[in-house]
Amino acid sequence: MRRLLSMGLLFLGTSLLIAQHFKLGSPVHDFTLRDTSGNPVTFQSLKGDVTVVTFIATKCPISNDYNTRMEALYKEYQGKGVKFVFINSNSTEPPAEVAEHAKQHFSFQVYKDPDNVVADLFGAQVTPEAFVIDKTGVIRYHGYIDDSRNESRVQVQGLRNALDAVLAGRPVQNAQTKAFGCTIKRSKKST
Amino acid sequence: MRRGAVLLLFLSAALWPGEPAALAPLDEASFHRVVASAKGKVVLVSFWATWCAPCREEMPHLVRLESALRAKGFQLITVSADEPEDAAEAMAFLRKVGVPPPAYIKHTTNNDQFITAVDRQWSGALPASFLYDRKGRKVRSFIGEVDLKVLEAEIRKLL
Repeated sequence: MRRLLSMGLLFLGTSLLIAQHFKLGSPVHDFTLRDTSGNPVTFQSLKGDVTVVTFIATKCPISNDYNTRMEALYKEYQGKGVKFVFINSNSTEPPAEVAEHAKQHFSFQVYKDPDNVVADLFGAQVTPEAFVIDKTGVIRYHGYIDDSRNESRVQVQGLRNALDAVLAGRPVQNAQTKAFGCTIKRSKKST
Repeated sequence: MRRGAVLLLFLSAALWPGEPAALAPLDEASFHRVVASAKGKVVLVSFWATWCAPCREEMPHLVRLESALRAKGFQLITVSADEPEDAAEAMAFLRKVGVPPPAYIKHTTNNDQFITAVDRQWSGALPASFLYDRKGRKVRSFIGEVDLKVLEAEIRKLL
C-alpha cells in the first residue's frame, strides 16, 4: 500500500514537474531536444556559462525578419562565451525543412522540439521569443530580441541588453518584455 | 496640425459607412477610448496583421459573423499590428475581405505598453481577439486562432 502510495506521489510529482513552466528568476531543469536527424540532445550538453534559448520558425515572416540579427548576435556573443540554443517547436515544420532553412540562413544548428514539450516548459508562445539563462541555470531575461520588426525603428535591444548585463554580473534592467511574432503551432496532442 | 490629421483619420475610419476609408492610428490611450465609445454594443476587437496567415484565414469568418449579428448589436473592430509601411497592404486586404469599419492600425512608440494596455496577460501573439459586453467590460480573450463556434456562442450569450 505504502509502495503504491509512494509510486502515486512520484507520478504526481513528475506530472507537476512536467506541467510547470520555467519562470523568470527561477532555475530551469534539463530537457531533451532532437537534432534534425532525430538524435536526442540534452540542454545540459548545449548550455554554457550564459545560454540563450530562442524559439524560431521557418515560415513565420517575423521570425525570418530576425534571421540576420540572430546570426549577428550569435557570432558576436559566442566569442564572449555565450552558448545559443535555437529551437523549432512548430508541429507544422518538419525536421528536414528546419535543417534546410538553417543551412540557408544560419551558421548554427536548430533543434526540433517534438510535441512542443520544451515550448510548454518555457511557456513560449511566439517566434521569435528569447530567454537568457545565467551560469546558475536561472532565467534572467524573457522576451523579444529587440522591439521592432523593422530594424531601422529598433529602440530597445532587449536580448543584447540582457546579455551584456548578465555577462557583467549586473541585474537585467528590463527582464521581461513582450515577445511578438507568430504563434507557435503546437501539436494537437498538447493543446 | 498632426493632431488634426489624426482626428480626421480617426473620424473617417469610424464613420465611413461601407468599408474603412483608411486605417486610423491607434495608441494605448485611444484604444480604451475606442472600446468605451462602443458601449451599448457587444464588441469584438480583433488584432491581426498581413503577415499572419491564421489572421487572414479567420478574418472572413469574423466578417460573416459581424454581418449576421450586427442588427442585434454586435460590432467588429479590427486593429492591424502591421508596420506603418504595410498599411496600404493591410487596407487592401480589409477591402478585399469586406471588413467593415472601424478599422485601425497600431501606432505606438512602445509596443510593450500598447500590448499591456490591451490585456496584461497578452504576449502580443497574433491573432488575438478580445470580447467586450455592452457595458464595455472585457469578458473573454481569444489568443491564437479563435474557435468560431465558441466565439459565436459567447457573443450570442451577451447580446
